[in-house]
Amino acid sequence: MADRKLGDPIARDPDHRNDDHRDDLTAQSVSIVIDGHQLHASPGETLLEAARRVGVVIPTLCHDDRLKPTGACRMCLVESSDNRRMVPACRHPVADGLEVVTDSARVQRHRRSLLSLYAADAPDGILPGTELDAHVLRYGLEPTLPQAEAPRAGRPDDDNRYILFQPDRCILCARCTRYCDEVEAVAAITLAQRGSQTTIATVDNVSLLDSTCELCGGCIDTCPTGALVERKAADRQEDFGDLEPVRTTCNYCGVGCQFDLQVDRAENKVVRVTSPAPGLTTNDGNLCVKGRFAYGFIGHPERLTEPLIRDKSGQLVATDWDTALQRAADLLTGVRDRHGKDSLGFISSSRCTNEENYLVQKLARAAFGTNNCHQCAAT
Amino acid sequence: MGKGRGKDNSRGNGEGKGGRGGGHHRLHDEPRRRDADHLRLLPAFDALGGLRPGASAVVSLETGVPQATAYGVASFFHLIARPDVDVRVCTGLSCQMAGADDLLARLRTVGAAVDPCTCLGQCDRAPATLRTDTGGGGHFTPLHAQRDGTAVTGWLQTELAAPNLSADDAELVINLAGEDDPTWAAAQRAAALGGDAVVAEISAAKLRGRGGAGFPAGFKWAAVRRNAARDPVIICNADEGEPGTFKDREVMAQRPHLLLEGMAIAARAVGASELIIYLRAEFAAPREALLGAIVQARAAGHLDGLRVELALGHGAYICGEETALIEALEGKRGMPRHKPPFPTDSGYLGRPTLMNNVETFACVPAIILRGGAWFCGLGRGDATGTKLYPISGDVARPGVYELPLGVSFAELLAVAGGVTGGALLAFSPGGASSGLLPGHMADVALDFGPLQAAGSMLGSAGVVVLNDTRDVLKATLTRARFFRDESCGQCAPCRVGTQVLVRLLERMAHDGGSVADREALERVSWEMEEGSICGLGQAAPIPVRHLMQHFLQAPPTS
Repeated sequence: MADRKLGDPIARDPDHRNDDHRDDLTAQSVSIVIDGHQLHASPGETLLEAARRVGVVIPTLCHDDRLKPTGACRMCLVESSDNRRMVPACRHPVADGLEVVTDSARVQRHRRSLLSLYAADAPDGILPGTELDAHVLRYGLEPTLPQAEAPRAGRPDDDNRYILFQPDRCILCARCTRYCDEVEAVAAITLAQRGSQTTIATVDNVSLLDSTCELCGGCIDTCPTGALVERKAADRQEDFGDLEPVRTTCNYCGVGCQFDLQVDRAENKVVRVTSPAPGLTTNDGNLCVKGRFAYGFIGHPERLTEPLIRDKSGQLVATDWDTALQRAADLLTGVRDRHGKDSLGFISSSRCTNEENYLVQKLARAAFGTNNCHQCAAT
Repeated sequence: MGKGRGKDNSRGNGEGKGGRGGGHHRLHDEPRRRDADHLRLLPAFDALGGLRPGASAVVSLETGVPQATAYGVASFFHLIARPDVDVRVCTGLSCQMAGADDLLARLRTVGAAVDPCTCLGQCDRAPATLRTDTGGGGHFTPLHAQRDGTAVTGWLQTELAAPNLSADDAELVINLAGEDDPTWAAAQRAAALGGDAVVAEISAAKLRGRGGAGFPAGFKWAAVRRNAARDPVIICNADEGEPGTFKDREVMAQRPHLLLEGMAIAARAVGASELIIYLRAEFAAPREALLGAIVQARAAGHLDGLRVELALGHGAYICGEETALIEALEGKRGMPRHKPPFPTDSGYLGRPTLMNNVETFACVPAIILRGGAWFCGLGRGDATGTKLYPISGDVARPGVYELPLGVSFAELLAVAGGVTGGALLAFSPGGASSGLLPGHMADVALDFGPLQAAGSMLGSAGVVVLNDTRDVLKATLTRARFFRDESCGQCAPCRVGTQVLVRLLERMAHDGGSVADREALERVSWEMEEGSICGLGQAAPIPVRHLMQHFLQAPPTS
């Protein structure tokens, strides 16, 4: 990592850091052809990974680079010369001499047919702006089929205020359950039932609050259909695409996660918080419950936006910074003069930056002469 | 359970991002450490009487599998997921033709906790039912109704009628009516021959798998023998659940030693020391017979050096698919795996796995004793050996008949006493996936190649006969619902495709269907065949194709 420059994507696998270096591996590499592109690939690489390097786009739904590929959604089926059936590019390994075709009439028909089945399984229609919707726009549909019954159960009694599961939008790609298990190691949700009844469930269908869920919301981020959504933002789901992302750093703890505040400019309001794509920032696509959901303070009516001091009757009244700081300095100095410098102690917040915390201890030691200083995350 | 208990170990166990050496991806991972915990998962639910509220938490504590994961696995299997059902009524084609719907309604009127289910493997005793014994624990008793024709006349009874079988004949390969040989003469001969010669004999017999796919057994045996150093395991697929099929039931009930002997011969030939029989929990008599034979064989020393486990299924047709069966054995949701890797390389717990059907293993002792050439001489044309043909529906003597592989349907029908209740309209040559062929094709050979050429398949050879009072569209709808209910749900072509097929067929049954509906049937069928992960979804449209090809009038061109 030492040679990584600021702004470079973080490599998730040493072998993936630099695509060029694959060509140095000729001793171990295999030669394949994808849509006419001749390329070298490493044994163990998948067709999807190889195709990406030559700019061939293969659509996926159940695939997330952080998860073990399952090949379940069937979106990435391509023709490969080692199989008479189409194979899932996300998990089919390269082999020497393989010829892969990703845009034949057969593959195109399959994509339209499959998307038509997903559409027939979506009673409320396909949500604009989602990965599924993008595939429909790009690859098209076959003529409309009768709606499937889609009797997937949700959790109507789950009253958690953070994560909403909308079963009618779900395509059962299982990215959420695998993310919860393989990335977060929480396994609060699971594929449950079978066949047309298959759904996403918690144990005994309890509320997420009563499960092992840590409310990180990573399931929402990875969902390709909008079946999972922030409950607070659910009624805005149709216009998520119109929101303006504002990249910033979370200050709830010292990790330094980056996230995007999704802002409605017209209302000057944060509608939801999303994580930058995996591989780009320290948090690698993840957030915690605070980062994702604890943004209500931003526009909260009780938020302090100006300094307040108490008047003679004890009521808080607004004032300017100079007055407020002078009042604080006078009173603290008074305490020190009456009771000694170690009668004072300074505690700072973990939500302060390093620099702010530094200044608080400097204030304690240099200005007031006491070592009584602490930061709430220091223990 | 506190957080942190029972969590997956995918963090920090050295398997993560840095720990893979040169491997780019996680395609063929060695089994994860948590597999060991999963093995006890389904038996633990059995011990608790099924998936009741709170059971997942207890199982999670016992096994270390996360609660939600345990719940997800248990909810997949109907016998665990619905523990409060007292009586299950089979709605397979043969049972439905014998009045299963009547029976279901009758039972509901008396307030029994009754559920329809897809196939109980008692097609010759249709309509079949299954009682869940009090106390749970996966104990079931098959029942059947008294009937007169298709009308159910009497209450359930537990005395099952003796099955109709081919008469005792020492020239048959399996010979269901014959005496089981407790001396295991074939196993002794196999020991004298040695592994290479045994595999060569199976190959010479050109024995093809009797479970449905017809894969040459000799190939599988040879492939696993090449992996002898990697601790292979022998699995018998006794999860017989294809509607119309009840032959393995009789092999296990009548000739359990034959099956065990065949498995033991296979184990010693490929260097395996562990035998697992994955048996339908619904099969009570076969279980008793097998347990008795295992005790006898163990006492006689036939099983020295071999571990034998009788694992019970939990009510999921898809677990007859070999990789789904392996998933279920490993305590996971019974969803088929992608191949490759094939089980012969990496199957149960990543070990080389030789899986054959009950009937396939039961053919082995005769092949070893009398030779592959003898076996080859028994079939018709290119086919080798004899075949157990279970036949049910509108037929005088439903039962299991052992005939040369490749006999015609007409010959089998004659052996079973002919059609009852009318003239022959249609027949299903090999289970639900084989569809329905019209009566005028009765001379088709019941063999792998000829049936495939006819757009059907031999499959499990479970033959169902329909007389001319039957409605082929209704029969096709029954089978479409079967596939919808038994799809594992993993991939959309099968999960959604089976639902859409049912919707379209229902429309067709209601008003004849439009040209657009038929085109939609064709499009959905294409996608299911092209896009499904496993054979269930790929074969599910076959009955629909047969309906359109053989039985429907050309649609009005409007």
